[in-house]
Amino acid sequence: MNNYLAWYIAGPLIGLMVPILLIIRSKQLGISSGLRWLGSLLTPGLSYFDYNRKKDFWQIEFTIGILLVSVLFGSLGLIPEFKGDKEILIAENAPVFLVGGILIGFGSRMANGCTAGHCIMGTSQFSTASIIATIFFFIGGWIASNFLTSIIF
Amino acid sequence: MKTLITIAMGMIFGSIIIASGAFSWSVINDMFHFRSFHMFGLLFSAIATAAISLIVIKKWKIRDITKQKIEIKPKPLELKNNAIGGLIFGIGWGITGACTAPIFIILGIKWYIGLSLLSGAIIGVVLYALLRQGFKLKLKLKHESRISKA
Repeated sequence: MNNYLAWYIAGPLIGLMVPILLIIRSKQLGISSGLRWLGSLLTPGLSYFDYNRKKDFWQIEFTIGILLVSVLFGSLGLIPEFKGDKEILIAENAPVFLVGGILIGFGSRMANGCTAGHCIMGTSQFSTASIIATIFFFIGGWIASNFLTSIIF
Repeated sequence: MKTLITIAMGMIFGSIIIASGAFSWSVINDMFHFRSFHMFGLLFSAIATAAISLIVIKKWKIRDITKQKIEIKPKPLELKNNAIGGLIFGIGWGITGACTAPIFIILGIKWYIGLSLLSGAIIGVVLYALLRQGFKLKLKLKHESRISKA
C-alpha cells in the first residue's frame, strides 16, 4: 500500500493551495459552497439559495478541474489503488453512497464548510467555528467508521 | 482567463488528493481507526503550511496579483450548526470515505458511485435549504400568532 505520495510532501502542497488561491484568485479555499450553487439550480425559490451566487461560482470551476484531472489520471492508469476499495465501491453499494452523499451535503452546508473550508482553511486561521466543526467531523467519522460501516457493508 | 486559471488550480489540487490517496475509502477508514498516521500527517502538515503562509501574508502585507489587499475572513461562529452539521458531515465522510473534493474524484474513477455521492450531496443541500425555510416559517408563524394575540 505504499504506492501513494508521502504525507510530508502531499500535506504541505495542499496547504500551499491556500496562499496560492488567495494571491492568484483572491479566494479562500473551500469546496462545499459549490454544492450550494448546484442546489440553487434545482430549487432556486428557497431563501437559502437567494444569495450572491456569482461569488461562489469559482468553486464550480475548481471542481471541474478536480473532475478533469481524475478522468485524465484514470485514463492514464495513474490512480493509486488501495486494498479494500474494490470491494466497497461496487454498484450494489450505490444506495449507501447516495445516503452518505445526503449526509455530506446536508452536514457541510449546516456546518458552513467541509474538510477544505473548515479543516484546512479555517483551522489555519485558528477560527473557533472551524476548529469546532473539524472536531465534530472527526467525531462523526469515528462513529461511522467504527460502528456503522461494519453493519452497512 | 480567470476560469482557466481556476480550473488549472482545481487540477493541481485534485492531483495532490489523488496522489496522496485521500480519496480512498480504505485510507479514510484507516484514519478513523487510527491504523495509519498518513492522513493525520497530511492534514496537520497542510494546516501548518497554510497557517504559516497566512501569517507571512499578514505580516508582509502581501497583495494579490491585482494589487488588492488580501482579506482573510474567518467563518462566523454558529456553535450549534458547526457542531451538529459537522457531526452529520463526519458520519457521511466516515461511511463513504469521501469528503467534498473526493466526490468529484470518485465521479471520474467510478462514475456510478460518484454520481450517487454527488446526487446525494445535492439532495442534502436542498434538504438543508428546505429545513431552514421551514424553520424560518415556523418562527414567523409564532411571531405572527404572538402579534395577533396581542
